[in-house]
Amino acid sequence: MQASRARLFKEYKEVQREKTADPDIQLVCDDTNIFKWTALIKGPSETPYEGGVFQLAFAVPEQYPLQPPQVRFLTKIFHPNVHFKTGEICLDILKNAWSPAWTLQSVCRAIIALMAHPEPDSPLNCDSGNLLRSGDLRGYQSMARMYTRLAAMPKKG
Amino acid sequence: MDSEDDMHDANDVDSLDDFYSGDTGMASDDGDGDYEFIDNDTDDSDDSTSHRQQQNYTILNEEDIRQRQEEDITKISTVLSIPRVSASILLRHYNWSVSKVHDAWFADEEKVRKAVGLLERPIVQIPNIKELTCGICFEAYPRDRMYAAACGHPFCGTCWTGYVSTAINDGPGCLMLRCPDPSCGAAVGQDMINILSCEEDKQKYSRYLLRSYIEDNRKTKWCPAPGCDFAVDFVVGSASYDVSCNCTHSFCWNCTEEAHRPVDCSTVAKWILKNSAESENMNWILANSKPCPKCKRPIEKNQGCMHITCTPPCKFEFCWLCLGAWSDHGERTGGFYACNRYETAKQEGAYDETEKRREMAKNSLERYTHYYERWATNQSSRQKAVTDLQQMQNVHIEKLSDKQCQPESQLKFITEAWLQIIECRRVLKWTYAYGYYLPEHEHAKRQFFEYLQGRAESGLERLHQCAEKELQVYLNAEGPSKDFNDFRTKLAGLTRGRCLVLHL
Ligand SMILES: [Zn+2]
Ligand SMILES: [Zn+2]
Ligand SMILES: [Zn+2]
Ligand SMILES: [Zn+2]
Ligand SMILES: [Zn+2]
Ligand SMILES: [Zn+2]
Repeated sequence: MQASRARLFKEYKEVQREKTADPDIQLVCDDTNIFKWTALIKGPSETPYEGGVFQLAFAVPEQYPLQPPQVRFLTKIFHPNVHFKTGEICLDILKNAWSPAWTLQSVCRAIIALMAHPEPDSPLNCDSGNLLRSGDLRGYQSMARMYTRLAAMPKKG
Repeated sequence: MDSEDDMHDANDVDSLDDFYSGDTGMASDDGDGDYEFIDNDTDDSDDSTSHRQQQNYTILNEEDIRQRQEEDITKISTVLSIPRVSASILLRHYNWSVSKVHDAWFADEEKVRKAVGLLERPIVQIPNIKELTCGICFEAYPRDRMYAAACGHPFCGTCWTGYVSTAINDGPGCLMLRCPDPSCGAAVGQDMINILSCEEDKQKYSRYLLRSYIEDNRKTKWCPAPGCDFAVDFVVGSASYDVSCNCTHSFCWNCTEEAHRPVDCSTVAKWILKNSAESENMNWILANSKPCPKCKRPIEKNQGCMHITCTPPCKFEFCWLCLGAWSDHGERTGGFYACNRYETAKQEGAYDETEKRREMAKNSLERYTHYYERWATNQSSRQKAVTDLQQMQNVHIEKLSDKQCQPESQLKFITEAWLQIIECRRVLKWTYAYGYYLPEHEHAKRQFFEYLQGRAESGLERLHQCAEKELQVYLNAEGPSKDFNDFRTKLAGLTRGRCLVLHL
C-alpha cells in the first residue's frame, strides 16, 4: 500500500512536471483518491479515431506496480479489442505481459498504439473483429468513424 | 474340487491365443506372452520388486527425481560449458529433454540464447555513479542496494523481491521469469530467486522446479492416486501401459485411468462416460442389497466372492450376479458357467424379477444394466479384497502363524492368493466394459469371449471363496489343523491357476 502510493505519487509529480511532454495524453489524478485516475487520449492520425478525444478510467490496485492497473474506455468506441458496452480493453500488457516498469503514462501510449493497430484475433467486440477478419476494412472504418463522430468529438453548436 | 482343472484352463487358453488377432477393443501386447502378475518362480527376493525391474517403467520418489534432475543439469552444464542455472533454464525451456537442448544449441546457439533469454553480456552498462534509480519504484539508491539480471537493468532489492514473489505466487510460470524491463527478455534464474526471496517463496520455487521436471517431461507423470508423491518414468513406445505404483495403485500410463488391461483406453473412456451419464439410474445397483431368490428377505453382500448363502433358516446358496442357485455354477454342471452372458440371463427371465428391472427394460437400459452390474460388483469385490489383504497382513497372518504353528514366511501363499484375487477382479471387471461394446453381430468372437470370461469368472470365484471362507476355519481353529497343508496346496494351486489368461 505504502509502496504503491509512493510510486503513484512519483508518477503524479512526473505528470505535473512534464505536462506538455506528450500532447496526445492528459493524465489526471482524482482529487481525493490517488488510486483513481482518468486520462484523455487523442485518437491517432490516419485512423478512424482521428479527431476524437477518448476518456479512460484507471483503477489502480494496492499491489501496483507489481499488478497492472485496470483500465477501461469511458468514451464509446468501436474497436475489436474494446468491449462495446463496458469499455473493457483486451491488451496483453494489462494482463499476463504486464511489467512493473510500465507507468500509467506508458499504458496510455500502448492503448493509443492498440487503436492504430487492432488485433482482430482476440476480439472483445465481435462485430468489429469479424468485419476486420473478413477483410471488410471499409466497413470497419466507417463504423469506427461514425462512433468517433458520435461519441468522441465535441458537439458543435 | 481339484485344482488340476484350473491349471488346464490356462493351457487351453494359451493354445487359443491367436484366435483373434487384429482385435477391436483389447489392447494388444506384442511379444510378452502370458498375462500373469505374480511370478511363479519360488524366488526368495521380494516378488513385486524383482518383477518391477524387468518392467518398462521406473517408480521415482522425490529423492530420485531430484537426483535425475541434478544429473541432467550437470550434463548440459558440462557439455555446453554454461553455468548450472543457465542449464536449468535451458532444460526447462526444452521440456527437460537433454537431447533437444543439445541439438538446438549446437544448431544455432545465438537463436537459442535469444529465445530463452540467456545473455552473454549486459545490454546496459551501469554508469559509474554513486546512486542509481530503480526502474520500478523510481527511487534512487546506492549501487550496492541494486540488483540486476545478466542484462544489467537495475532494480532495488525491495522491488525485486516483490516482483519475484508476485511471479512465484502466480504459479509455475515463475520458472520462466524474465527481467522486469518490458523491452528486455533476460532470464531470471534460481540464483536470483535465492538471493531475493523469502524462505517460503524459495521453497515454492524449488517445488515448482521439481514438479516441472515430471509434468513437462514427455516420459514422466505423477501417479494419479490421491496423496501419492511417486512419479513414473515410462519407456515411451512400450507394448503395455500398465503401471503399478509403489503406493499399490495400478494405472494406465496412457490415459491415467486405473489399470484396465486387456481393454484399450478408448473403450475405457467410452465406458466411464457412459457410467457417468447413467449414474442416476444405476445407484440401486451399488446399494448392495438384494432379495434372496428363495425367501425374498433382503440380503446384504458383505463379502468379496459372489457365492452368497442366505441366513438361517433359509440358507439358500445362490449367485449374487444372476440370482441362480449356486449348485448350477462351477464344475458340477460340467464347468458351464454362463451367468456372465447377457443372452442367457434374458432367456431365463432373470430380469423380470422386480419392478425396477422391468422399468429398466422399458428404458432399454437392460443390456447396459447387465454389464454395469457385473462391472460394478467386481469393482466392489476388488475393493473388499484390498481391505481384506491389509487386514490379513496386519492381523491375521500373525494369528494364523501362532494357531497353526507355521512360520510367517511359510504363509506367503496367502498374501499371493489375495494379490491374485485383487488383480483378477480388476481384469474381470474391465472385460465387462469390453463385452458391452463387443459388436452384437460378431457371434463367434462373442462366444469365444464369453467362454473365456466364464472360465475366468468361475476360477476366480473358487479362488476367492477359498481365500475368504475356507481360511476362516483355520483362523478360528483351537490348535494346529492336520489338513492345513492340504489347504495350502489347494489355495496355492488355485492362485497358480492363472485363471485370467485373457488373450482377447
Ligand atoms: Zn533486463
Ligand atoms: Zn525499487
Ligand atoms: Zn502412487
Ligand atoms: Zn488407458
Ligand atoms: Zn433366503
Ligand atoms: Zn450366477
